[in-house]
Amino acid sequence: MQHTNIFESYHIGEGTFDEMYQGKDVRTAYQGIFNFLKSNSPEDLTMKEELSKRLFMSQGITFTVYSSGEGIEKIFPFDIIPRIITADEWDFVERGIRQRLKALNLFLKDIYSHQFILKDGIVPTDIIYSCPHFIREMHGLKVPHDIYVHISGIDIIRGGDGTFYVLEDNLRTPSGVSYMIENREITKRIFPDVLRRNSVRSVTQYPTLLHKNLKSLSPRQVANPTVVLLTPGMFNSAYFEHTTLARLMGIELVEGRDLVVENHKVFMKTTYGLQQVDVIYRRVDDDFLDPLVFNKESVLGVAGIMSAYRKGNVAIVNAVGNGVADDKAIYTFVPDMIKYYLNEEPILSNVPTYHCADPEQLEHVFANISSMVIKKTNGSGGYDMLMGNSATEKEIEDYKKAVIKEPRQFIAQPIISLSTTPCYINGKLTPRRVDLRPFALFGPEGIEIVPGGLTRVALKEGSMVVNSSQGGGSKDTWVLA
Amino acid sequence: MLSRVADSLFWMARYMERSDGILRMLKVNYNSSQDNLSDFSWQPVLKVFTYLDGPAIIELDNESSEVLRYMILDKENDNSVQNIVIHARENARSVQDNVTIEVWQCLNDFYHLIRDERHINSLAEGDAISVIDLMVKQCLVYYGTVDITMSRGSGYCFMSLGKFLERALQSIDILDVKLGSMSAEDTQAYDTLYWKYLLMSVSGYKLYLKNYQSGFEARNVVHQIVLNTHFPRSVIYSLDHLHRNFEQLSAYLDKASFDELNFEIGKLRSKVRYSTLNDIEAMGLHTYLADIKKDLSDISSKLNQYCFAYS
Repeated sequence: MQHTNIFESYHIGEGTFDEMYQGKDVRTAYQGIFNFLKSNSPEDLTMKEELSKRLFMSQGITFTVYSSGEGIEKIFPFDIIPRIITADEWDFVERGIRQRLKALNLFLKDIYSHQFILKDGIVPTDIIYSCPHFIREMHGLKVPHDIYVHISGIDIIRGGDGTFYVLEDNLRTPSGVSYMIENREITKRIFPDVLRRNSVRSVTQYPTLLHKNLKSLSPRQVANPTVVLLTPGMFNSAYFEHTTLARLMGIELVEGRDLVVENHKVFMKTTYGLQQVDVIYRRVDDDFLDPLVFNKESVLGVAGIMSAYRKGNVAIVNAVGNGVADDKAIYTFVPDMIKYYLNEEPILSNVPTYHCADPEQLEHVFANISSMVIKKTNGSGGYDMLMGNSATEKEIEDYKKAVIKEPRQFIAQPIISLSTTPCYINGKLTPRRVDLRPFALFGPEGIEIVPGGLTRVALKEGSMVVNSSQGGGSKDTWVLA
Repeated sequence: MLSRVADSLFWMARYMERSDGILRMLKVNYNSSQDNLSDFSWQPVLKVFTYLDGPAIIELDNESSEVLRYMILDKENDNSVQNIVIHARENARSVQDNVTIEVWQCLNDFYHLIRDERHINSLAEGDAISVIDLMVKQCLVYYGTVDITMSRGSGYCFMSLGKFLERALQSIDILDVKLGSMSAEDTQAYDTLYWKYLLMSVSGYKLYLKNYQSGFEARNVVHQIVLNTHFPRSVIYSLDHLHRNFEQLSAYLDKASFDELNFEIGKLRSKVRYSTLNDIEAMGLHTYLADIKKDLSDISSKLNQYCFAYS
């Protein structure tokens, strides 16, 4: 039986690249899922959608929202239709990310030691020293294997003609990888046999690769170094991810209060007494890591941990101070870094970016504000930004005032019309905008990128903001062999 | 094992044991409340398992379905089954890397079940027993899941400590509140149904019929609940298992702490094992039970101090 009605209302926006359709034709990569969807009635698909929700709930893939003293479990919205990336596209993206990551890691090493890139005038000195994430305590601190960015999530988008752009680099504590793994598990349940028939590459090796890398960073030469995952605790919205990763790697999930520093060594408090910790995969931000060095009020971190780090008695993943390399103002210089450190042309392009601190560029931004998005350089989560095409006049005026007050804090980019993929919403397939966050692991043996990633999708009609805090959801991401 | 993790596992197991105990006890008492027994009262149950004061207890006494609501679902009642399950789940959640995924999902399912509006409504308006049965079943799934999926390491031992400590305390409480303050003449006055429901509320009725063929006598009931090594809810059975599981921990604790606690637990176990019904009667049941309870609470605070101290 053929059911075609779910495709009826699929209209691709003008000047938008659609991942599934090329004009009236379905792209080859999507043919398999297209046929599968056609053979299912809308009722079947709705049941699959409900099953996916139930599975997330029952497996506790949730975050807790606390209101009036009571916790309510929420699921991160999941759209059942996968987002598909062809082998060629993936090859390109993967090469681009490797190159970019190599340069960014060299940049961090340079910026916290000799600062050649500043002396050679490639990156302006003031942009570094005015960055709140530039951590002076990191200067001259030797990190194992010179690796700073062990885990990164570089956000990729596609413009109107299908070109890949890097939207931003996440080099601190990027989250979402558990959804890459769990979304795939859900797909296995709701679309039996479909993955195999489409030769989708597996993502399950991620925890094993990460664990191997973490172990290899141990400062002590012991057979089984103690590796822990440091979480801010269960009130953190990514707590599910922390528990999942700890479980999949078989490492201890610790909180700040489980650790103590003695004689510049980090120990965890066990029933047997103190046990030395060698590697800490921390999901606590720099600011909260060590109340003796950073935020004095922090109870999430461990007093003295920076001194142990400085002495080389413990490895911290990711390195402290990475924020200086993924700041939105530094972003503009990444193509120059690639040329400077690697003597290569950048494979992945940046989105054109204007610095509001530069009066000429600011003038240009204000003149074209209706086609611009203005962001805070250290903002995240899709907050505090202005979408010039949809903001009211008052919002624009207020935002302009804020920009004029502290221009260093802002950058602007022309609004890129993100590519769309089909989503199953209210019984119909409807195009929604997506981005892609592949997760790259940088270990002593090189960079490995698991074929897949987190596809975030703006579930609100017409919205360009994919952040989960702003009505975004996610999709399973298929990379074809 | 991290001290915080050991602590959470211990309490997760305690809370689950408690919710199982309360649910079974409620089911039987609810049943008996429907039997029009002249001497049935919710008061003993409310006294042991809630923090309500005298007047509040008297007010609730004749309202069976309100008692069930309060003891199972009330958010303000710290010891309501719902709150206990929330605590068990929160403990499990923070140690997910130390329990199997099956155990975690089982507690997570229980949590969603007990917050489901449909069950909440049918507890009040539909068949209360079916709802309680559904929850008891969830406890059984938990026990089975723990049994067949958890590795027998230190985590399992800490869970067992929590489970058997809680079980011993529950049996003591139930026995004490129903019998502890009675004189021998008093106990004669009760009819068969009273004993039947008391035994059923600790799931021991069948065993009693088989073992003690002389009919219902307070002495025999005391024997079964305190001294019968074959009765899985007896005090001695719980203490035997508490001790056995603690001995498994010798490799995971420092020697001084282990030795001290092992001594305390072993001493209590022997104290109960080598008491006779005559000893208990001479001492008075209530005094005897209170003494065991005190020892258990000392053991619990020593565990806290030696194994779980992390802040």
